[in-house]
Amino acid sequence: MLVRLLLLLAALAVIAGVFVATRRVIDHLTRRDTSDRPPPWRDQSVLSWAAQVVALGLIVTVGLWLWANFQARTDAIGLDLSFEFLDKPSGISIADNPVSSQAGIRDALAQGLKNTFLVIILGIPLSVLVGTIIGVARLSSNWLIKKLATAYVEFVRNIPPLLLIVFLATAVFLSFPQVTASSAEAAWRPFGGWMVFSNSRFAFPSIIALDNFGVYQVLIALSVLVTLGVWAWRTRVFNKTGVPHRRTLWSLVTFLVLGGVFFFALGGPFEFSKTAVEDGVWSGGFRMQMPYAALMLALVIYTASHIAEIVRGSILAVHTGQSEAAHALALNGLQRYRFVILPQAFRIAFPPLINQFLNYTKNSSLGVAIGFAEITSIVNNLFGQSRPAPQLLLILMVIYLTLSLILSVIGNLINRRLQLRGA
Amino acid sequence: MLLARPRNLSARDWVKTNLFNNWYNSAITIVVLIAVGFAAQRTVEWLFSSDFLIIRRNLALFMVGQFPRDELWRPWVSGYLLMGAFGIGSGVLWRSAAADAEEKGLPIEPHSWLDLLRRFWAVIAVLIFFVSFARTLMPFVALGSVFLVFYVSRELGRKFNAAQKTRGLFLAGLLGLGSLGVLAGAGGLVALTVATLLGSWTLIEVRSYADERGVGGVSERPVTQRRRRFALRYPFRRRLGAVAASRTCAIAVALGVWFALNAVDFDGFGWDDWGGLHLTLFVTVVGISTGLPIGILLALGRKSDLPVIKTASVLFIEFVRGVPLISLLLFSNYMLPLLFPRDFGIPSQLTRAMIVITAFSAAYIAEIVRGGLQAVPKGQIEAAQASGMSAPKIQRLIVLPQALRAVIPAMVGQFISLFKDTSLLAILKLLEFLHASRVANTQVEFLGQGLANVTLPFIALGYWAFAYTMSKESRRVEERLGVGVR
Repeated sequence: MLVRLLLLLAALAVIAGVFVATRRVIDHLTRRDTSDRPPPWRDQSVLSWAAQVVALGLIVTVGLWLWANFQARTDAIGLDLSFEFLDKPSGISIADNPVSSQAGIRDALAQGLKNTFLVIILGIPLSVLVGTIIGVARLSSNWLIKKLATAYVEFVRNIPPLLLIVFLATAVFLSFPQVTASSAEAAWRPFGGWMVFSNSRFAFPSIIALDNFGVYQVLIALSVLVTLGVWAWRTRVFNKTGVPHRRTLWSLVTFLVLGGVFFFALGGPFEFSKTAVEDGVWSGGFRMQMPYAALMLALVIYTASHIAEIVRGSILAVHTGQSEAAHALALNGLQRYRFVILPQAFRIAFPPLINQFLNYTKNSSLGVAIGFAEITSIVNNLFGQSRPAPQLLLILMVIYLTLSLILSVIGNLINRRLQLRGA
Repeated sequence: MLLARPRNLSARDWVKTNLFNNWYNSAITIVVLIAVGFAAQRTVEWLFSSDFLIIRRNLALFMVGQFPRDELWRPWVSGYLLMGAFGIGSGVLWRSAAADAEEKGLPIEPHSWLDLLRRFWAVIAVLIFFVSFARTLMPFVALGSVFLVFYVSRELGRKFNAAQKTRGLFLAGLLGLGSLGVLAGAGGLVALTVATLLGSWTLIEVRSYADERGVGGVSERPVTQRRRRFALRYPFRRRLGAVAASRTCAIAVALGVWFALNAVDFDGFGWDDWGGLHLTLFVTVVGISTGLPIGILLALGRKSDLPVIKTASVLFIEFVRGVPLISLLLFSNYMLPLLFPRDFGIPSQLTRAMIVITAFSAAYIAEIVRGGLQAVPKGQIEAAQASGMSAPKIQRLIVLPQALRAVIPAMVGQFISLFKDTSLLAILKLLEFLHASRVANTQVEFLGQGLANVTLPFIALGYWAFAYTMSKESRRVEERLGVGVR
């Protein structure tokens, strides 16, 4: 092994030497005037070529060496490096998910990816919301909430997210009432039973489709279009005549009226579903597993503390003249924020926000610590069943790289739209 | 915000302006007060109803993991040496910063013990809180003397004047090395330490060279007449001999330590026995200090004109930054063993994790350093080229000193985030600070009693104190650097 390595290095050195020598020879043969050229060992272009050849040689050598080690090791333990294992039964059952332990590893991985998505999709908007509120609160004129927001940020930012997740899951949510077949009624049910909290699952009301639900969906889509039309109309009226547009109010009323009329016209196309727990079996409503809630909420709490700092910094970065001008126009506090400061602050805040979204996505892998079946956790479980590690790791990393790439592409597209044109 | 407020308000007026200045603020204040009162009541209830026996029993587990219990003097002595190193280092740096400030007519930073207390109150308070769970008096005495050692060595460090700065920092480095030597004499560890020391020492030298020669546009020290004469009298080539000599000296010292440890046949404690807060801090320090040189090289590689080097650096950096640390740790656990030659054996789990953490922090540091490199004005490089410096020399003497100085706060930020990220070692079941608490909760004596609400807040305080102090310090440095630049 070592001999091969040395041979390879020697070969590369020879190649580099030959290259440099050839260059010199060619220089001489072409009889270029070399008097004002430095000697090759100080010639910039020769040096940079030599450096690259050496670097490439080094990288290739190390790569080949690692590959040889890898092959020797995998041969020794008889590891199959194909991807056929993906079709074998996974042997892991995922709570509250349709994929059984008999389904293929492929399906288990797909389910894990779906769960990762669920954490991201609900969590990112929530953390932006919470973060913005706290960031604004840090700049409030109210001493109490200013100090509270500062304390929140200074505390949460300085503890590991994993600790928060584990704390929420094992110290807070696990102490919620336990629901078993014999004690189905033990769960905590606020809002007249419309929400259910136990130490294994949380449940919220959801919608059940009845007759005509398809038609209703189409009509709702149409109502959205009409609402957008009303919005545009009010904007145009405002631009033309200066009459207060009140477009939010107008649009909201339009949408609610249309939605209500269609609802009754179709004879109630849906109803709200309440979660029922009987004999330890949960049915109806929108149910989430406790680990999901713990992971998502902890990440929201953690990410929000970072977003709050970004928001605060961006608001402070908006020129004070803007705020003074808004004062001079007699805008009140809320209007100043809504129309003058936040739109400009958001433009400044967006690039670092993308970074936070990426961090959130990567942090969602911490679900592995509390057994939430997102993709990392699934892969980790599969390792536990001595499934081939190299391929699984490859899949895992490719998935995260793709997620990162997609998020940053989307973020950059939005960012490009947000930035001032020609500025 | 816009109206100037009178400075001295009566209590009543203060409440009125700050809590009830309009109707919605009044509403918010009342609601928040009720919520805070409720939370405070629950906290007090929790405080008095909880049993802290689990912490009293497991204090050593939280602090040092499975470190052999009859060898606990080692962490303490190593703590003394480390505090000595920190003290001398900070004293030396204070002295040189004070000299700079004096030269520029800026206010000199206060340095009394009261100021130290103000800066480090969180760590001091939390350490005292931790030790208060000890069952004997010894840890109290030991902790008190650790603080004392820091204070005394800081006073000692302040005796080094600007010309002796490098010497003082070197002494601090030696003490740090000694502190590790007391903990573990394992050859690999010493080698790692030496590499770290050499790396950071080279940087210090680069820095002091740049200063001595008066290069570097934002260098905090202006080129005085004395310094210019010095630079003229000792041109770079003449000084090269001195550099070679001093470097040889460092290598000799390091080798000496290693051989001495080998000669007395001291095996030390491999870090596989380490754990708790001790391991967390250690992994962070090693991760940053080994990641720093690699990160700087990667950043330079990424800025390089040579396509091969550039592509390799970009690929590495973007790959590591694109995947979560857990997946890298899983890599270290399941994949890295397959990459070592068959006759080599497999390094321990913690060693493999450290390799991955080094790569991880190197990639992030590379991006930070890249930001610093971009902040160096192009004119600096052009001026250096015009004065006939070679490309490596330009990087070493002109670009890097300025770039690194500009990114110190971001680097501290990375340090904090690595400190928090080391908690992920818990997922590999390595006994760091967080996992120690989970292990304590699964002990037969405490199993299933819902004691996570005792241990986890305890752990959280530990993480918080260190991270908070570091972030405060970084803000302080940032402000001071800002003053210097403007």
